[in-house]
Amino acid sequence: MHNSKAHIWFIAPAIILMIIILIFPLFLAGGISFTDYNLGNKTFEWVGLENYDKMFNRKTYVKMIWATATYVIVVVPISVVLGLCAAMLLNSLRFGADIYKTIFFLPVMATLLAMAIAWEFTLHPTLGIVNSFLANGCGGVREFILGFHWLPWVDSQESWYAVACANNMDFPYWLKQKNTAIWTVCFIGIWQAFGFNMVLYLAGLTSIPRELYQAAEMDGAKSTWEQFKLVTWPMLGPTTLFVVTITTIRTFQVFDTIEILTKGGPSKTTYVMMYAIFEKAIQQNLTSIGAAITVVFIGFILVLTFFQRYVIEKRVHY
Amino acid sequence: MEAKQYIGEGWKHAILIIGAIVVMLPFYMMVSMSLKSQQEIQSISGGLIGAQETQTFPVCVKTGYSEETCTMKPYQYNYWFAFEKAPIPRYLMNGVIVTLSIFIIQVLVALPCAYALAKLRFYGREFVFSMVLFCLLIPVHGIALPLYVMLAQAGLVDTYSALILPWTISVFGIFLMRQFFMTVPDELIDAARMDGMGEYAIVWKVMLPTAIPALLAFAIFSVVAHWNDYFWPRMVITGNRDLFTPPLGIREFRGGIDSDEFGPMMASIVTVTVPLIVAFIIAQKRFIEGITLTGMK
Repeated sequence: MHNSKAHIWFIAPAIILMIIILIFPLFLAGGISFTDYNLGNKTFEWVGLENYDKMFNRKTYVKMIWATATYVIVVVPISVVLGLCAAMLLNSLRFGADIYKTIFFLPVMATLLAMAIAWEFTLHPTLGIVNSFLANGCGGVREFILGFHWLPWVDSQESWYAVACANNMDFPYWLKQKNTAIWTVCFIGIWQAFGFNMVLYLAGLTSIPRELYQAAEMDGAKSTWEQFKLVTWPMLGPTTLFVVTITTIRTFQVFDTIEILTKGGPSKTTYVMMYAIFEKAIQQNLTSIGAAITVVFIGFILVLTFFQRYVIEKRVHY
Repeated sequence: MEAKQYIGEGWKHAILIIGAIVVMLPFYMMVSMSLKSQQEIQSISGGLIGAQETQTFPVCVKTGYSEETCTMKPYQYNYWFAFEKAPIPRYLMNGVIVTLSIFIIQVLVALPCAYALAKLRFYGREFVFSMVLFCLLIPVHGIALPLYVMLAQAGLVDTYSALILPWTISVFGIFLMRQFFMTVPDELIDAARMDGMGEYAIVWKVMLPTAIPALLAFAIFSVVAHWNDYFWPRMVITGNRDLFTPPLGIREFRGGIDSDEFGPMMASIVTVTVPLIVAFIIAQKRFIEGITLTGMK
């Protein structure tokens, strides 16, 4: 056994950096959030819970919570389900799976900021190919499919598509309209995230032993759906838990698309927490409010991760 | 049975192709816009590459270049003018400097610590490890504001240090390397000690070479994350163009004076985005491994 003191030199830099860069800032944020400190001030006063009080009662911050919650609640389930579907489809293909995998993974790799700008032009009301694609499809198959005319309860004169066609091609200004901006941003979020989930699910799928499917078939689970319910889904339990947690944490941190595309607007419908911290603390120099938002943000993340660990220990052991 | 299977396969491809088209849409738009002339972009004509007619570009002439210099094909003009207007190589260089510095420091800090946690017995080891586990829960973007306050107090805003310092500690890297070192047989280390190697030599000459595969995956994970990161540079770099990383450059192209001309703007964005995408396509397997590394248990 070694008896040198080398370990001190090995762990000291890491410990010092952990304390300065990760642990101390937690306390600093907590401390600042109880004061009226703004960066550049010489002095500050303790104001108790005033910042938190503002946060939960002022309209702006209530909207912030709403926008963040909407974004997370929409993006996480859809990108996880899409990732799972894509993984299962690719897994059952005879050929070509690798090409799709590469394509679906591209958004994960590409600089999100650049892609946000590319989406901005793609969805642009006059320059974008999406709206020109829609406008060229008036009265045709595109209108039938995308206007949901195939659903029995949709009137083919009243669908959103038909109305837009009738009103001189009045298709949505996706990122500028109050009722579409948040959904458009969510869409970009899903577009970016699902490939990552797909790859994690593909790894999960390859670890399921073939024999389980044969056993399930002998037990009478013949259809694909029954086999999915009986074997695939339960076996993917740990993967799903992990995918959901990591997607949630990443989704909470959405910033790039918001800052470049909507700046939190229109009328704060896309005012997510990371953008709020940036806008309040950096652009408006309201450090203490920013710190309060930071504390709530970290709180969310810690609760989520503890929840994940708890569930792992309680449930996902078979 | 055979026919039915083929139909099933066909349906799957149909669904996946529609998905692939939606996924590729912004990439198509980006490349297409960077090749076409302003008129073609505004009238949404010309397909992917446009007609590529040689023409004289008015914005270029207005900027002070001779008419002769400004006469060329749209794709040439877009990329040429993009490089004329913004110091793109500088931004790419900054990206390389920042991501490489971060990665190297992360390894210098994490590797010895991981080795100590995995292979050395000392008082307080469990405590240090639980500290690592706790720090894994803290998202650095989440504590960006207090970090910014600290850097501002230290007068480091608008410096390379501000871009690099907060990322020098990667608890994830420590955790990952520790898990990897646990699988290295003790005999290897004992043999090295018998040969008279010190602990430092063991870390860099014995452990490092065995850890290359894990290190490579971690390198990709780290480099991709920091090359693409926009939030942190946006916080700490306020105006100094010399320190712009690629994403800050992208933001500038969009908001700059040239926003009336989309071709050169998209050309700059393509130039900055392409290196990573090309690297990805060349070494896909490694990239997917590296980026989904967080999924390893």
